[in-house]
Amino acid sequence: MSGIQLNTANEALGKDVHKSPTYPVQSDWKPWQLVLFRIAFVFFILMSVPNSIEWYKNAFSIDWTNLHYRDPYDIARFGSGLDWFGNKIFGSTLEGYAIWVITLLFSTGVGLIWTAAEKLTKKETSNYDRLNYWLRVIVRYRAGIGIIGFGFTKLLPTQMPYPSLGLLNTDFGDFTLQKIYWLSIGIVPWYQVFAGVVEIVAGLLLFFRKTTTLGSILLFGALGDIVYVNFAYDGGVHVYSSYFVLLAAFLLVQDTPRIFNLLVREKFTLPARYYYPALTQTWQKITRYGVKSTIIGVFLILFFYLSLTNLLFDPYKQPAVKGATELRGNYNVTEFRINNETIPYSPEDTIRWSRATFENWSSLTFKVNKPTPLDLSNGGGSPMRDIDRTFELTGTGGGQRVFYYQADTVNQVLYLQDKFKARNPGDRGKEQSVEDTHPVDWIPEKSLANIGDETYKIDPRASSTRRIREYANAPKTEKRNRMILQYQSINNGDKVILTGIDENKNSLYIVLDRFKKDYTLSQSTIKAGKYD
Amino acid sequence: MSPQETIVTEWSPVERALFRFAFIFFLILILPINADFFKQLFSINLLNLHFGQLFELVRYTPDFTGNPTDWVNAVVVILIALIGTLVWTIRDKEVKEYSQLYYWLRVVVRYRLAAALLVFAFIKLYPLQSPEPSISNLNTAYGDFSAWKLFSLTLGVVPGYQSFLGGIELLAAVLLLFRRTTTLATLIIIPFTGNVFFSNLAYEGGEAYYSFYLVLLTGFLLLYDLKRLYSLIAEEKPTFPNQLQPAYPARWMKPTQWLLKGIFYFIFIFWYGLEAKAAYQNDPYQYPDSAGLTNSAGIYNVKTFKRNNETLPYSAEDPARWKDVVFEKWATISIRSNRPVVIDSSNIEHIYQLSSQRNYEYLGSGGRHYYSYDVNETEGKIQLTNRNKNYQGEELELSFSRPDSTTIILQGLDENRDSLYVILEKTDKKYLLEEVKKTGRRGALKL
Repeated sequence: MSGIQLNTANEALGKDVHKSPTYPVQSDWKPWQLVLFRIAFVFFILMSVPNSIEWYKNAFSIDWTNLHYRDPYDIARFGSGLDWFGNKIFGSTLEGYAIWVITLLFSTGVGLIWTAAEKLTKKETSNYDRLNYWLRVIVRYRAGIGIIGFGFTKLLPTQMPYPSLGLLNTDFGDFTLQKIYWLSIGIVPWYQVFAGVVEIVAGLLLFFRKTTTLGSILLFGALGDIVYVNFAYDGGVHVYSSYFVLLAAFLLVQDTPRIFNLLVREKFTLPARYYYPALTQTWQKITRYGVKSTIIGVFLILFFYLSLTNLLFDPYKQPAVKGATELRGNYNVTEFRINNETIPYSPEDTIRWSRATFENWSSLTFKVNKPTPLDLSNGGGSPMRDIDRTFELTGTGGGQRVFYYQADTVNQVLYLQDKFKARNPGDRGKEQSVEDTHPVDWIPEKSLANIGDETYKIDPRASSTRRIREYANAPKTEKRNRMILQYQSINNGDKVILTGIDENKNSLYIVLDRFKKDYTLSQSTIKAGKYD
Repeated sequence: MSPQETIVTEWSPVERALFRFAFIFFLILILPINADFFKQLFSINLLNLHFGQLFELVRYTPDFTGNPTDWVNAVVVILIALIGTLVWTIRDKEVKEYSQLYYWLRVVVRYRLAAALLVFAFIKLYPLQSPEPSISNLNTAYGDFSAWKLFSLTLGVVPGYQSFLGGIELLAAVLLLFRRTTTLATLIIIPFTGNVFFSNLAYEGGEAYYSFYLVLLTGFLLLYDLKRLYSLIAEEKPTFPNQLQPAYPARWMKPTQWLLKGIFYFIFIFWYGLEAKAAYQNDPYQYPDSAGLTNSAGIYNVKTFKRNNETLPYSAEDPARWKDVVFEKWATISIRSNRPVVIDSSNIEHIYQLSSQRNYEYLGSGGRHYYSYDVNETEGKIQLTNRNKNYQGEELELSFSRPDSTTIILQGLDENRDSLYVILEKTDKKYLLEEVKKTGRRGALKL
């Protein structure tokens, strides 16, 4: 038992409580506590480590010399729980929680076997103080790292982008609940920063013994609310949020009865007798401070820097490439001719564009009074390519169309692709196997040369291997609607004339006149991305 | 030997001074001294009570400047408390401790805070504070709303979540009513109401001052047990609990306490709660309860628009040409056009009994002009009055006819005494907000 030194409060006792009684050190656990601990040990270890090969593959493929914020984020964010037996129980995923139930059942099984093994070999442990300490360390660090990963995308607010012009122009009733909630945070970037601070502080508090309980209370409360929000708005992140509530609850198990005893029952209360390793030897001290500072170094300082460059130059949900400089803002569609037939303005017409918008980045959006297939996903993840960044499109109806464009500014041609990608059910994540109706070289070579390589079209400080890889591995053909439009900009884009062909090979002639729209909603005071 | 914390018989001079300050400071913050408050109080007709009146009274904060939410008021209170502390310190040099007085001060703060939370809790528990969006709201562009209005609308679309928040507030308030659970209550209230404070700052709401006031009261309550919690949790030392019991020197005190408690529970929980429930079921206070034109609710496309006999075609730019018209379930019409709107940006929570005062539907909302209307269905007359205080006196005198269930023809004089002839056709609008609830987000939807 050398090296173990119970953190006695003898010194403390001498200071404050003059005639204190001696109290027994709890070193013998009751049988039910021992069994419960064994189960909890297996369960929480399984819940604290990544459970998919993907995570390991990804972690080892990170290029640490050319990082993107998502690289350390993907280390912090991972699914857990045992998935060897699938993720359904009695045929249902239980809203995603089935895997927890399976893990619990498995842990119970292992725990009982462990109990039996100890009994049979007559090597029964009397307490798990030591193991409990290390289990709590693992859970504390898992929770802390995970929540800090989340916190940084709010501290440098990129998780919920401020609405694009196209979204500002969309009617409230044309959004899904999930979109409405996400937008409601996007419009207040300083509140997002505040939320990020809360999450990061909660995580930091978990790294230190004295503040673990406070951190757990904060985590429990904040993430408990987020779980409910996810159910209310169908946000889709309820399992991962509940995960933190679970870890926080586990960390609170030891202190809650004591707090209750002290405050509610108003009784003299002894603190929990925790085991703390002495760690007095030099190599132990070096390891401890080394590990702690690496974790804090990576996940705080490095993460902060990466999140900052992300916000400034490549906000991960918002397209990063700047759009053509003259083509910016809200436009009225003054004239619209399709196949040489003029259609007068009418919000009812199912073909004519009723208004158009050029965003600061590589997007053109326009509204048509025609039902269109919708993308109801969250628009999340962290795609590197502008065309895959769909926050302007997801959860949004009202006839809104969003086209990504590449601009050949020399010849003044826009090559547009629909950001909506038709998906076959069951195709999640798979490469598009559907026949593309456009030839691979629909953009002529000369134009491609003028457009340039989008991989490098962002500030070099935000460049990363992840971006380079994803652009290099981009699919050569995708099933998307495409348009080719020549543009003529008059008076620095106050008037724009578009001529070309639409997705159904109709010829278009469109005159756009820019107008200044004063929105009631206050502009954002934090600008994400660089588009000048 | 049983642990017995000796009841402290002497406080340090600093502690005594701090207490005196806190005592005066919080009593001025809590006990009503505004003339306005008493005016409101005595204007209450016991035969025509509305729970909104209690709500307005409970919002009380001392007002020396004419603007209750001016931070200058806080400075005045601090100054008065400083002077008072000085006087008191000189007068009471011999007094050694104020344990009992501290206890009673905490009682006052606890009940004041509980009252504040309860009046808000019930209007969330029964989702009244943020109602479901009106038809006009659904047909307004996202950027045409103020941040505060968007916050309220975002909460309004999830009444279940609003109830949950109300439940938490209610729990915290109830825990405040008992000495032993007070600290637990503060651990809930500080994050909850702290969040309200930060939200108000971020969303440009008007409740930042009041929510900060409540957080201040809560922080004061937490101080009592803070050292104990720190000792037990952070320092991991054996810790003594609170051992102070309130003293009741006179015999009438305890029964009076029970009586006062009973009155409090009756008014703030029983009566207020029932009223809120009734309002939710019969007359949600945020929207007018005037009867609208029969079976007219919905959004209408403006098919034909003639002004002074000149037909104006559809236009995205013309400020005069109406774009669409909404008839609400109640007697409000809203018209979307390119005519700019100077919005009414009031952002303080009120509960209005009078239907004509209920302005929630157009607060913080641009993009549309809102008119309350008087309709005479037999004579086919409808009189519109702009509800926005920035457009007072704007009236349209129209007559209407309904050739079929989906068409309304309006003719008459507009606000500029120009003659109007408008044909409205009801649109069968499907809202993504509603449709997605039926199919879920995993399926494909075309809208």
